[in-house]
Amino acid sequence: MADGLRFEGRRVTVEPGDTVASALYRADVRTFTRSLKYHRRRGLWCVTGDCPNCMVNVDGDPGVRACMTDARDGQVVVRESGWPSAERDLLHVTDRLHRFLPVGFYSKTFIRPRFVWGLAERAIRRATGVGHLPIGRPASARPARALHVDLLVVGGGVAGLAAAAEAAAAGSRVVLVEERRLGATAWDARVRERIQTLAAEARAAGAEILEHHTAVGLYEGPFVPVVGPAEVLHVEAGRVVAATGAVEAHAVFPGNDLPGVFLARGAALLSIRHGVAPGRRAVVVATTDEGRASAAALRSAGMEVLIHDGPVIAAEGNGRILAVTLGTPSGRERITCDTLVLSLGWAPRDALLRMGTDQEVAGAGDVAIPGCSLEEAEASGRRAANGHDEAPSDVPTVPVGDEGYVCLCEDVSLHDLQQAWDEGWRSSEILKRYTTATMGPCQGAVCGRLLAAFAGARADAVATAGARTTSRPPARPLVLEDLAAGVDEMIEQRTSLHDRHLGLGARMERSGSWSRPTTFDAIDEEIRAVRHRAGLMDVGTLGKFLVAGRDAAELLDRVFPIRVRDLGPGRSRYLVALDEAGYVIDDGLLAALDHGRFYLCTTSGRAPAMEAWLRDWIDRWGLHVHLLDQTAQLGAILVAGPKARAILGRLTGDDVSAEALPHMRHADITVADVPCRAVRVGFVGEVGYELHHDRSRGPALYDALLEAGQVEGAQPFGLGALDVLRLEKAHLYLGQDTLPDDHPAKLGLEWAVAMDKPDFIGKRALERMGALPLERTLVGLRIDGEPRRGVPLLVGGRVVGRVTSCARSEAARGTIALGWVRAVDGSFPTELIAGHAVATVVPTPFYDPEGARLRV
Amino acid sequence: MFEIRRTLVGVVTASAGAGALDGLVVPGRAFGCRTADDELMLLSVPQVTDEVVREVSTRLATLDPDALVIDTTDGWAAITVAGGGARSSFGLLSRLELPDAGFTQGEVVHVPAKVIADDEQVLILAPSMWEAHLLDRVTKALGATGRLETREWRVPTP
Repeated sequence: MADGLRFEGRRVTVEPGDTVASALYRADVRTFTRSLKYHRRRGLWCVTGDCPNCMVNVDGDPGVRACMTDARDGQVVVRESGWPSAERDLLHVTDRLHRFLPVGFYSKTFIRPRFVWGLAERAIRRATGVGHLPIGRPASARPARALHVDLLVVGGGVAGLAAAAEAAAAGSRVVLVEERRLGATAWDARVRERIQTLAAEARAAGAEILEHHTAVGLYEGPFVPVVGPAEVLHVEAGRVVAATGAVEAHAVFPGNDLPGVFLARGAALLSIRHGVAPGRRAVVVATTDEGRASAAALRSAGMEVLIHDGPVIAAEGNGRILAVTLGTPSGRERITCDTLVLSLGWAPRDALLRMGTDQEVAGAGDVAIPGCSLEEAEASGRRAANGHDEAPSDVPTVPVGDEGYVCLCEDVSLHDLQQAWDEGWRSSEILKRYTTATMGPCQGAVCGRLLAAFAGARADAVATAGARTTSRPPARPLVLEDLAAGVDEMIEQRTSLHDRHLGLGARMERSGSWSRPTTFDAIDEEIRAVRHRAGLMDVGTLGKFLVAGRDAAELLDRVFPIRVRDLGPGRSRYLVALDEAGYVIDDGLLAALDHGRFYLCTTSGRAPAMEAWLRDWIDRWGLHVHLLDQTAQLGAILVAGPKARAILGRLTGDDVSAEALPHMRHADITVADVPCRAVRVGFVGEVGYELHHDRSRGPALYDALLEAGQVEGAQPFGLGALDVLRLEKAHLYLGQDTLPDDHPAKLGLEWAVAMDKPDFIGKRALERMGALPLERTLVGLRIDGEPRRGVPLLVGGRVVGRVTSCARSEAARGTIALGWVRAVDGSFPTELIAGHAVATVVPTPFYDPEGARLRV
Repeated sequence: MFEIRRTLVGVVTASAGAGALDGLVVPGRAFGCRTADDELMLLSVPQVTDEVVREVSTRLATLDPDALVIDTTDGWAAITVAGGGARSSFGLLSRLELPDAGFTQGEVVHVPAKVIADDEQVLILAPSMWEAHLLDRVTKALGATGRLETREWRVPTP
């Protein structure tokens, strides 16, 4: 025997075809939620997924629309708002405190003392009538699948199916997505029959129909994310037909949000499709054909029905509707009832249509012709399939009374809007921002038109005040997991030596997007190895570019501030890259090769940007240059230290002596049978050879170097040791030791800029800045205390700088640092306070200032 | 069912003026992918890459004396998704639209990639620093479909 669903400790029977909403309503549940701010009772209203009134927690998922969710045995359903419960909610007292909770109250109250807001915010957040995120529950990974179609149809009603059938028959690849089952929100048998016929026609023509798939937005492309039960589809469509239908318009009058007030389609759905009469005695206020027809549906469900086609003055009741006052030709009439059914006009579900104003998107059916007949809907769908873009019809605004709730999601009343208007928020867009109307789960589907109508109708409104607010995704509620569908968390770049590092017990870290060793054992030991013997480091992460073509030298000379023309084959030069403002954006090394080619090395993190930047200049200047990114293709291993040459000597027959291959020169040599470009560099302050090689040969080369290095006491080192070694030489890390507006003079890099060149990028800016006094500079510091990177530098209690790099150095015998300082009274301070220690500005480098060890 | 295979592909990159590349007759042993106006990527079995470099260099020399032709095989990691469903499952990896037969380029598993497809298989090349990522994510994404056959990878003998 079926067990039914579990609702707050009791069993609720589930009938075939039931939604959670219909099952609960049959079980006499009338209050589904409490409103966000005033904790007013809210019951079923639209029953078509358009309003926020039935959002409950289903199986731990908060904010589930009960009317859109199929009920099943074993489901656990809980109402989410209200304290201690939604049925008996003590926080309903806020409904009596309107005076103290005016619109925008959180911008006006709890301001001083400042700590009060922290407490108030916590209390307000707890009190609001929304669900709680299951923070502790692990999120499931939702896959995303891309889908390419000629036509995407959103909406499986008559118009949508007609469009799908027509386009598929013409040979187009067509996918139709429908939020629920086909026909689930149609209560009229004639409509359901037509839906079935058209669905069969569309399928036979080759259209794919996806039920329980919701289009949540429309982006440039058109690109439409569609949330399905098992995956999120990323649909790239040639065209989109939005056949999303319409919902009956929201009307504003006192008591318009009481449980028992229904839209006509919702009331008819409950009674006809689910066999649950919304009440016993209904007043149907209808100005539409469908609304009038719904009265018969309610009668057939056994309800006593009164039809009225005039205005509603007010609804009254306590917890649910008890009576309604109607406007009649003779005045007013009060009628007792337990259900008020409204069909006073249409609100097309045009969110997607309005998101795609510049896209290939057409509306069909009710969304374009609200209230259209079955035949008109079908014809409209077929026209849309053939590329006809139906101009949406004007929708007359439902008259707005003097009182009542405009935005059901955010509890914004007409009174609130008027108050905001009086305070000076005088257009629909800023009213939205101030009052939060249209910013709830329905995203303005219910109240958007009313907000615009309110603003447009003010006597002192400017012409644009009443424009509809911008439509943005998501058009329908979705869970956070769907937003993250298909997103890969971390994408890791690896060098060819990654597995070797792991084999050697390296502790790896993320450096930018690269995975790199921090240390293999002990950082201090690695530093000593480099300073006294030799160290091996994987520097395959460096950006590596081959620059060729007849204008290669021209490009490099115009782009970089270094001299390029006098760089003969075999020579290399340190470079900084400047932008047009003269700010340093990267640094690296330029090596001249044969045949007018160059080999450019950049920092690891900036390689993609450097490539894009260079290509941009090549295109702008129309130069004939080939730029080949070899970062992935080539590995690089640094062998550095006093014994580096001896290690290489064991593995190569080529001459790597100081005479044949001096500092800042390079040569093609073979090491352990691996062809390498050996570049003499000195980032760590010792004799160093960077061996650039084909990536696939990296592991073999590394193994050979490790083996040959054993005799000399060499060991691999990682970023931890490098950080100290380069600091001892006062070599800066771009980004860590620099700020975005640093030009070379601030960093002490004037020597790397050839100002006597006719031109280079940034030259004019440097000339202008050269005439100004330096207001900030990077300095070397000795600190009388423990190293602490990032601490502010103070003079007389005033912050004048910051430590950017800091380490205890055995070679420099103390704590050394780099940091930037500002000029104080026209000069740079030499004694500062770094945290609790004294910092003294000293000349750099800290180690081997003459660079003698590099040139051995 | 479909399967994922790591694939050895020889890659030659030719950079030259657009007109020169337009006029280049691609060697029969290579498959040409025009990656940019001034760049052509030639795929072949790795054993013939040297020959492709030589032939393309010779042919381009008359069209653009400044052309650059280089073996860039080491810069690429390649996998093939093969079998029925290989094409339809590609949507789990990328938003790219597969050509009926031929080449396209863009993001696959969120890294820049070159893609060559035909009726039965899809070859994906990504820069080699993302080899582990490519293998891992493709295997996970397609494995979740329950239609993925896995087999032990052995380096084929030339």
